[in-house]
Amino acid sequence: MRKAPTMLFETLYNTPPPLFRQGQSALSRFIVLSALALFLMVADARFHMVEQVRNVVATALYPAQWLALRPVLMVEEVSRYFTSLKTARKTEAAARRRLTEQSQRAGQVEQLLLENNRLRALLDLRKRIPVEAQAAQVLYDATDPFSRRVVIGKGRMHGVRSGSPVMDETGVLGQVTRVYPLVSEVTLLIDRQQVTPVINTRSGVRTVAYGAASAYIDTLELRYMSAAEDMREGDLLVTSGIGGTYPPGLPVARVGEIQPRSDSNFMRVRCQPLAQLRGITMVMVLDPAAPPEPALPDADDATANPDESDDADQAAGSGAGEGQYPRKPEAGP
Amino acid sequence: MSMRRGQPLLLPPRLWFIWASLLVALMIDLLPLGRLLWMPDFLAVTLVFWAVHQPRRIGMVVAFCFGLVLDVHEASLLGQHALAYTVLIYFAIMLHRRIQWFAVADQALQLLPLFFLTRIITIVLRLLGGATFPGWEVLLAPVLEMLLWPLASALLLAPQRRSPNPDADRPL
Repeated sequence: MRKAPTMLFETLYNTPPPLFRQGQSALSRFIVLSALALFLMVADARFHMVEQVRNVVATALYPAQWLALRPVLMVEEVSRYFTSLKTARKTEAAARRRLTEQSQRAGQVEQLLLENNRLRALLDLRKRIPVEAQAAQVLYDATDPFSRRVVIGKGRMHGVRSGSPVMDETGVLGQVTRVYPLVSEVTLLIDRQQVTPVINTRSGVRTVAYGAASAYIDTLELRYMSAAEDMREGDLLVTSGIGGTYPPGLPVARVGEIQPRSDSNFMRVRCQPLAQLRGITMVMVLDPAAPPEPALPDADDATANPDESDDADQAAGSGAGEGQYPRKPEAGP
Repeated sequence: MSMRRGQPLLLPPRLWFIWASLLVALMIDLLPLGRLLWMPDFLAVTLVFWAVHQPRRIGMVVAFCFGLVLDVHEASLLGQHALAYTVLIYFAIMLHRRIQWFAVADQALQLLPLFFLTRIITIVLRLLGGATFPGWEVLLAPVLEMLLWPLASALLLAPQRRSPNPDADRPL
């Protein structure tokens, strides 16, 4: 192809650089493009106007992402194939032990459910609506170092809706924050911008858990906890159902370090999320619970403030469904 | 055109090769390897390489579009990478006449402030937007990008270093 001397000449000197018609200067292009980028950022952060652009790019990018996932999955597959028999036996034993523990609890659940239904019928409260869920594969951890998100392989086409809670087998993982046609983004509950309404299963204290992921630790934080509140290390926090996004009763975190502060009436409470937040592979996407209806006249104790919640829960449960946990769980899961 | 002494005359690049190298770099960036803060940006290195060597083919508009793609992939602020890449390529184009007079290692050193600048632009933008500082490993990425420069020079110029008239003795 490059044999003939004339051809050679042609390839060396094809399309000489234009002397006069060079288009806009680099500086003007730079200014226009930077302004466009800044506009996009403001539009994205403040006004959420550019979702269409995101949708188009995301859909076009999907085949490339799918392709990029293959080699990683292949390596995982191979390494899994070569895990030793010993490891496999160990995992099996652990799984069996957990199954036994859970089956004991499951037996209790049947009985509690029955009891709960009767009590609810007595109190004429709304029945708990079963929540629809679908499993989804985690495609990748979003590499943006400033937020904590993962991308899952189910999108609008599969019926995922923005705001849906996401959990793994041990607890709440976060919430779907952006839905594309084929994939969706899940913001983990430790992200700085994520807030989860929770209730303490031991003392019934209701609060909200803020994401407090720093560079190296994945924690949740309970802010504005009065130093008089009943919080102990090791308490289990589950979703309270207030706010209507999360169905009540999903395990969220265990209370970790509690630091009373001498300079204020609040204490600093750090919590350890129960769900595995790194290296996630499979998740469950739940349908967002319906927003709570206005409290029934005979259940208006539900809106009582947290200090009185103990009595309120004992008296009537609540419209949002807090009354469903045993007051003192015998054993943690 | 005047050139550095000892530098071989290069064949003109193939347009498809430029685009293929950019797409391969994008695919490397898309690999789901988990959350590695120090991960160098292969696409940025490739874009700078072609902006330095072929400023008429790869310019700021291409870099801007690739930036948008990465923004969507990384679930970051839309326009963040686009701005960073635009700045990066603008300075690369400003530098491109001077930088080719240096040896490859010196070129890498000259590009280090550039890679740092883009990283710092994104960090400042996100901190203004209310994010927290992710950790110091982030600043390791520009250094790794600098170390990738000689590799990029060797790989991406290889097709242009071939003989213009291959024969039985010089098949390539």
